[in-house]
Amino acid sequence: MCTMEDFKFLFKVVLVGNAGVGKTCLVRRFTQGLFPPGQGATIGVDFMIKTVEVDNDKVKLQIWDTAGQERFRSITQSYYRSAHALILVYDISCQPTFDCLPDWLREIEEYASSKVLRILVGNKIDREDREIPTFVGEDFAARHNMYFLETSAKEAENVEKLFMKIAEDLMQVQAKNKDLPRYESSTTNISGRTSSVSDSSCCSKLT
Amino acid sequence: MSLMKCCFDPPEVPDVIESMVQKCTDPGCCCGCCSALRPRYKRLVDNIFPINPQDGLVKSNMEKLTFYSLSSPEKLDRIGEYLFQKAARDISRKRYGFVIIAMEAMDQLLVACHAQTLNLFVESFLKMVQKLLESTEPQLQILATQSFVRFANIEEDTPSYHRRYDFFVSKFSAMCHSNEYGEARDKIRLAGIRGLQAVVRKTVSDDLVENIWEPVHMDKIVPSLLFNMQDSAFYLKESYNMEIAPEDQIDPPLLAETCMRELVGRASFGHIRVVLRPVLRHFDLHQLWVPNQFAIHIFRIIMFSIQAQYSYTVVESLMAHLDENSKSSPTIRTSIADVLSKIIAIAAGESVGPSVLEIINSLLSHLRDSVRHGLSQTDEKQYQEALINALGEFANHLPDYQKIEIMMFIMSKIPFPLVDNNTPADNLLQSILLKSLLKVGTKYQTIHFNNTFPVSFLEPLLRMSLAPDPDMRLLVQKILHTLIDRHHNLEQLIKPTINAGGLALTLETSSRPDLIFINKHGAMLYDALYTSLQINTNTIENIEAIYTTLALLCVELASTETVIDLLQLVLGIQNLALTSADLTNTQKNNLHAIVACLFVLISTIANMNTLTDYANKVIKARRKEAPHLLPDLLTQYPAKSESANKLPHLLIDQMAVCEYLKSSGFDATRLMQTSPYGAGRLGAYAGTHRHSWVEVGARGSIVEIPGTTEVDSVSSSPGVQKKLPEEELTFESMKRVLTEPPEIRKEAEAERREKLCHTFRTATFEELVHRTQPKHDLLQNKLNEIFKSLSSTETHQSPSQMDKKPSIPVYEQNFPELFLY
Ligand SMILES: Nc1nc2c(ncn2[C@@H]2O[C@H](COP(=O)(O)OP(=O)(O)O)[C@@H](O)[C@H]2O)c(=O)[nH]1
Ligand SMILES: [Mg+2]
Repeated sequence: MCTMEDFKFLFKVVLVGNAGVGKTCLVRRFTQGLFPPGQGATIGVDFMIKTVEVDNDKVKLQIWDTAGQERFRSITQSYYRSAHALILVYDISCQPTFDCLPDWLREIEEYASSKVLRILVGNKIDREDREIPTFVGEDFAARHNMYFLETSAKEAENVEKLFMKIAEDLMQVQAKNKDLPRYESSTTNISGRTSSVSDSSCCSKLT
Repeated sequence: MSLMKCCFDPPEVPDVIESMVQKCTDPGCCCGCCSALRPRYKRLVDNIFPINPQDGLVKSNMEKLTFYSLSSPEKLDRIGEYLFQKAARDISRKRYGFVIIAMEAMDQLLVACHAQTLNLFVESFLKMVQKLLESTEPQLQILATQSFVRFANIEEDTPSYHRRYDFFVSKFSAMCHSNEYGEARDKIRLAGIRGLQAVVRKTVSDDLVENIWEPVHMDKIVPSLLFNMQDSAFYLKESYNMEIAPEDQIDPPLLAETCMRELVGRASFGHIRVVLRPVLRHFDLHQLWVPNQFAIHIFRIIMFSIQAQYSYTVVESLMAHLDENSKSSPTIRTSIADVLSKIIAIAAGESVGPSVLEIINSLLSHLRDSVRHGLSQTDEKQYQEALINALGEFANHLPDYQKIEIMMFIMSKIPFPLVDNNTPADNLLQSILLKSLLKVGTKYQTIHFNNTFPVSFLEPLLRMSLAPDPDMRLLVQKILHTLIDRHHNLEQLIKPTINAGGLALTLETSSRPDLIFINKHGAMLYDALYTSLQINTNTIENIEAIYTTLALLCVELASTETVIDLLQLVLGIQNLALTSADLTNTQKNNLHAIVACLFVLISTIANMNTLTDYANKVIKARRKEAPHLLPDLLTQYPAKSESANKLPHLLIDQMAVCEYLKSSGFDATRLMQTSPYGAGRLGAYAGTHRHSWVEVGARGSIVEIPGTTEVDSVSSSPGVQKKLPEEELTFESMKRVLTEPPEIRKEAEAERREKLCHTFRTATFEELVHRTQPKHDLLQNKLNEIFKSLSSTETHQSPSQMDKKPSIPVYEQNFPELFLY
C-alpha cells in the first residue's frame, strides 16, 4: 500500500541569515528547480517541502525559510527550536552579511537545540564582485564547528548538494541511534513534545 | 492500482465509464475488469470520484460510502488511508480537482462518523490536511484549512494524546505572513488565522492533547495575529464595529483581532505571561511603541478580553517591560508608560489589596529611577509625566478609601529630610512625588475632612508645606486646594480679591464631622499656613496659594468657631507683615493684600454685616491712600509706596474687630486674648516656637506610615505618645467624649501640665537649650509644632477659659449661643 508519498524520515531545516543573501532563492531552486525572478522579500516565515532519497530511503525535508529582517525575529526564532538543521547563509559579494554571522550564531545558540546540525553557506558565487574569499568562509565555519559550502542559487551550483548533504548527515546521525525508537528522542531531543516524529512505517504518525 | 486506474484514465470514452460507474454502485456487481480483485471499500471510494473533476463528488456514491463506513466502522481507518493515498498521488500529478473531491469526502465521513473508530480515521484525515498544506497551491492550502477548522469543531470521544499540532501551528503561522501576489495573499492569511484559531480551540480545553500554551506555540501564534492586526489602519478608526461586518467582508485584521480576544480570554493565570511576552517582543521588534496607537489598541483588547481577575498581570507585565526598557530612549518609555496609563484604569476596578500598592509602588520606583538617571532632559520629563498620568488614571478608578491609602503611600515615599542640602535628584523626586500626589488628589472627592486628612497624612503633608523649595511648597498648597475644595469654588478663589461679595460661591453648612475635624486639627493647619507665610523665599504664587487655601477653608468650614480662628490668623498675618525682620517689603505688601482679601471674605461668608462694612471701609481707604496694600500682588511696588507700619489707620484693628463681633452677637473673647500668632513673636520658622517641646513630646502622635522605614528618620519624636482619649476619632472615643464626665478630661489635661512642669524642673539647662535649639533642629521643631492638636491651643487661653472649655461636650460646640453669658 506504500506509495511514493511515504517517507521514512522527516527532517526540519531552517534557513537564516541577513535579508537578501538568497535564502528564498536557494529553497526555490532546490524545491522547485527554478530561480525566481524578482520575488518580494520574505515576511515572517515561509514553508516548502521536498522528499529526497538517501540510500533508497525516502527522506522528507521540511524547509522553513525565514525573513532576515530584525523585526520578524520573534516569529523566526520560534522556528529554530524544532530544527534538525540550520543553514546560515551569507552573500559572498556582500561583506556586511558576513560580518553579521556572529550575531546569527548567538541567536542560534540561544534559540536552537544544541545538537542542531549547522551549515554555513556562502551564496551567489556566480557573481564577479566577490568580497569574501572562500578560505575566509571556510575558516569561519571551521572555527564554529559548522559545515561549509559555497553555492549559487542562480546557477544551481551546489544547491542540490547542500540539501542532499544535510539529508545524508541527518540520516547518519539517525542510523547511529537506530536502536532508539524515534529520531527525535535520539538525536536532537528538541524541546520535548514539540519535536517532529517520523515513523518508519508508511502509515506514519502525524507530525 | 494500475488496474483500477484503467477504469478512469481513458477520457475519450466517458460514456462507457459512466455506465460502469453506475453499475459499480450495485453491491452485488463488479467494476469491470478490476472489480473482483479489489476490496469493497476501495471500490466504494473509487466510485465517489467522477470522470471529470469539475463534476464534483458523486453524491449518491458518497452516500453509499458513508453508509458502508457507518455499518463497518472497523474499515474506516483503511478508507481514510486509501483516500489519503489517492489524494497524495493526485497532488503530485497536479490533478487538484480530484484532491478537492477527496478532501470533501473525508470531511463528510468525519462529520458522519462519530464513533470511537474515528480516531484512526482522524490520523489519515490530518495527514491529508497536512499534505494539502504542504503543497504550494494556495487553493489547496485554503481548502485544507477549512477541513481542519471543521475537524477542530468535532468533539472526539477519545482524543488522541500522541497527536501533535506542531506542524499546524507552524504552517498556519507561516500562512499568516503570506506574501502571495494579489487576492490570494489575504485569503491565505485569513486561512492561516482561522487555522490558528482552530488549533487553539481544539487543544485549549485539554492540556494532555497538546499544551498550546507552550512558548514554542505562543511565540508563533501571537506575533502572527499581531502582524495581521497591525497590517491595517482600521484600529485608528474609533467606531469600528465588528458585529456588522458580514462574513465575506471579514479581513485579516478583524479576524486576527477576534482570534486574539478568544486566545486572551481563554488564558488562565499561568498562561497570561506566555501570551504577553511575545506581544511585548513584537512591539519592540516592530518598533510599535512610538507612535503608540496600535499598542494602545492591542492592550485595550487584551484588557477587555482577559479574565478580569488577571487583568493586573497585564499591568505588571507592562511595568516589567518598562524595566527592561530602562536603557531605551525616553520617547519609547514615555509611550509605554502612556499605554499603561490608557489601560491601567481597566485594571483598577479589579485590583485588590496588595496588588494595588504593588502597582503604585512600581510606578513610583520607575519615577525614582527616571529622576536618578536623567535630571533635566525634556524627554525624560515627558516620561515622568506619563508615569504620573498612569498613576492618576489608576488611582482615579479606585474607590476613594484606596485613594487615601495611595496618597499616604506616596507620601511615605517622599524623601526626607527637607533640608537645604538635598541633592538635586532628591529635590526633583520630592516634587515629582508631590505632583503624583496632586494627581491622585485631583481624582479624589472629599466628603468629610476627617476621612481625607487622617493625621498620618495631614502631618507629613503640612511638614512638606514648609519645604525649602518654593515650588514644592506651592505643590503642597495645590494638593490642599484640591482636597479641601469640595464645592468647586477653587477657580474663584485662586486669585486674591477684595470683591468677596461679587463671588458666586457655593456654600454649605458645615457638617458635624467637619467641625470636629477643624477643632482637632485646625490649629495644626493654621499654624503651618502661618509659618509658611514667614518664609522669605515665597514668591507671589506661594503667597497667593496660601491665600487660596485659607479662603477655601473659610468657605468650606464656615462656622462661628472657625470664623474666630480665621480672624485670629488673619490678624496674625497682618502682624507678621508689620513685624517680620525676614520678609522683604514686597512680601509684606503681598501679605497685607491677602489679609484684606481674607478679611472681607470671612466677614462676608459669616454674614457679619457690620464687620463687612468695616472691612470695606479699610479697603476703600487703602485704595485711596495705599493701593499697594491691596491686590493685585506685585513683585515690585512703586518706590514711593509707604510702609504699612506708617499707616496704622489703614490696618485692621483688632479692637475694632472684636467690637464688631460682639455687636453681631459673637463671643470675641478669644480674639482679645494673646494671639497664638502674637505680636513681637519672631515666628516659629525663625526659631522660636510657642509650644514647648515637652508638650509636644507628651502630645505629639507619631503615626507610623505603612512601609516608610527610610522616610521616618525625621519624625524622630520619642516614640508614640499616649494620646488623650478624645484624640482618636472613633465611634468609641466619640461616645466617650460625649458621655465621660469632664473630670476625666480635666485629669488628662492636668497630667499633661504636670509632665510639662516636671520636665522643666528636672531637665538640665543644656538639655533644654539643646532640645529647643532652633537652627539645626529647625525642622524637628517645626514638625513637633505641627503635631500639636486642638487642645494645645487652649494652653494659651486664660485659665478660666481653659477650665471651662473641657467641660463643654463636643457636641455643644456647634451651638455657639451656649457660650454666651
Ligand atoms: N547573482 C545571484 N543573485 C542571487 C542569488 N541568490 C539570490 N540572488 C538574488 O538576491 C536577491 C535576494 O534573494 P532572496 O532569495 O530574496 O534573499 P533572502 O532575503 O535571503 O530570501 C534577489 O534579487 C535574488 O535574485 C545567486 O545565487 N546569485
Ligand atoms: Mg527570503
